[in-house]
Amino acid sequence: MENNRKNRRDFIKEMSLIASSTAFLSSIPWLNAFAGENGKNVAASDRVRLGIIGVGSRGRALLLNLQEVNNVDIVAVCDNYEPNYQRAIKLTNGKANAYYDYRKMLDKEKLDGVVIATPLHEHAHITIDSLNAGLHVFCEKSMARTLEDCKRMADTHKATGKILQIGHQRLFNPVYLNALERVKAGEIGQITQVRAYWHRNNDWRRPVPSPELERKINWRLYKEYSAGLMTELASHQLQVANWFIDKVPTRVMGSGSNSYWKHGREVYDQVALVYDYDNGTRCIYDSLTSNKHYGLEEQIMGDKGTIEPEVNRIYSESIPKAPGIRQLVNNIEKGVFDVIPIGGASWVPETAVEYKGEMIAEYANNDTFLQMVGFVKAVKVGKPYKNLFREGFHSSIGVLLGLQAMDNNEIVSWPEKYILEKEV
Amino acid sequence: MKDILIPAKRVKKELAILLVCFIAAFLLNIYAIAKYATSWSEILGQLHIIVILSLVIYFIVAILRLILSGILKAFK
Ligand SMILES: NC(=O)c1ccc[n+]([C@@H]2O[C@H](COP(=O)([O-])OP(=O)(O)OC[C@H]3O[C@@H](n4cnc5c(N)ncnc54)[C@H](O)[C@@H]3O)[C@@H](O)[C@H]2O)c1
Repeated sequence: MENNRKNRRDFIKEMSLIASSTAFLSSIPWLNAFAGENGKNVAASDRVRLGIIGVGSRGRALLLNLQEVNNVDIVAVCDNYEPNYQRAIKLTNGKANAYYDYRKMLDKEKLDGVVIATPLHEHAHITIDSLNAGLHVFCEKSMARTLEDCKRMADTHKATGKILQIGHQRLFNPVYLNALERVKAGEIGQITQVRAYWHRNNDWRRPVPSPELERKINWRLYKEYSAGLMTELASHQLQVANWFIDKVPTRVMGSGSNSYWKHGREVYDQVALVYDYDNGTRCIYDSLTSNKHYGLEEQIMGDKGTIEPEVNRIYSESIPKAPGIRQLVNNIEKGVFDVIPIGGASWVPETAVEYKGEMIAEYANNDTFLQMVGFVKAVKVGKPYKNLFREGFHSSIGVLLGLQAMDNNEIVSWPEKYILEKEV
Repeated sequence: MKDILIPAKRVKKELAILLVCFIAAFLLNIYAIAKYATSWSEILGQLHIIVILSLVIYFIVAILRLILSGILKAFK
């Protein structure tokens, strides 16, 4: 445990180092949470009282991370599924009051904020009720199942002035932050395309103890509750694309299908989309559930280089030349051992260059923990970070517009009303 | 077990051959830097490769010498 805490302190110190590069700080306001931070305890009176709503798989992870954040009391937990309700009580050693109904929790507890990790279709009304109850909210991505609900959440956030932070942990990931700093410094030149993908070889189906629980437990598979790959996976990567391109897309086109999993799944099991930006830049996205060979990545491509943040690599377009002597030896070897073709292709295939690039940054990263630190700090101050909510909002809108494009087989333009201007 | 004695003259000769191989590899490096227009700092920066290359040349020469002395012995 002590070791764990030490690591946590190191994570915060790393962020504080990133935050100390002042030019960068102004473009990432939420880094302010870590400026001058040493990760040590402050006065006990400064404690933040939180409730967690939805303590399933993600809610449990958030709870465990929050338990490692200084000056946080998890005073209440809420889940309407008995096994997870009981588990939540255990996880807090019985210290938190437990509820089946979040409205009772909001009525009874004196909270500073809530963390919401319920299924997608349960985000909007719980968020709106919590904001209206005067609480700050951390809500998992994606924001909501419908465009109207996303908008209603944004409007309530604005009207109440309370924090609404959406769970996009890459915004707090030191590798991504460092990559962005290098993009801003011009290291990969002008970004012209982001190619992002998330490939898995599984169907999301969870075992169900009795048939009437099917839709509750496997909510991700049903259109009523989920937009499938779009809200669950693409939302993270579209957020990264928008963040690095530093724009909101103007339109989206795409195609989705159920090509492999034939077991009552309603949401697409593969999707392919193109997001256009007003400067001609593009985000090309695809997600697959029947092959995991390529895993996941956001390939951020500029005229001078490429960044692959998921694997922590940056590649230059001008690959450093091999030393002369090695080139000479290689050429002699080729001359001696290579077969001379008599017929065959008259062109050299432009296959990818084998070049391993270099590491973006060496960090012991735990972005989920860091985003919770960020949220707690904001709650303490009582004010949202500028432009942080905007990231989650545009990603949530983008994935739902993408779904609309696929469902209706049309090119969907981004409506004005779903654009949040940057705060200065 | 019989001790094998290598006369000092022989050792000197072998060292001289190795030195010639090293010089050859060194010159080859200079040629390669000029031919491929790489950095002149490679004269020192690639010394480890030059050492390996000189050993390779030395062993190739040794094999050639063995073959040659075999042929000469056969004719005597
Ligand atoms: N940021 C990330 O990397 C990440 C990772 C995984 C999941 N998520 C998000 O977290 C959310 C939850 O996903 P999950 O995998 O934990 O789902 P889950 O099904 O494992 O957990 C959801 C929990 O919420 C409970 N719940 C449902 N309705 C409720 C209500 N009205 N009141 C109280 N509790 C309620 C369920 O009983 C369940 O325990 C989703 O929005 C998902 O997209 C984010």
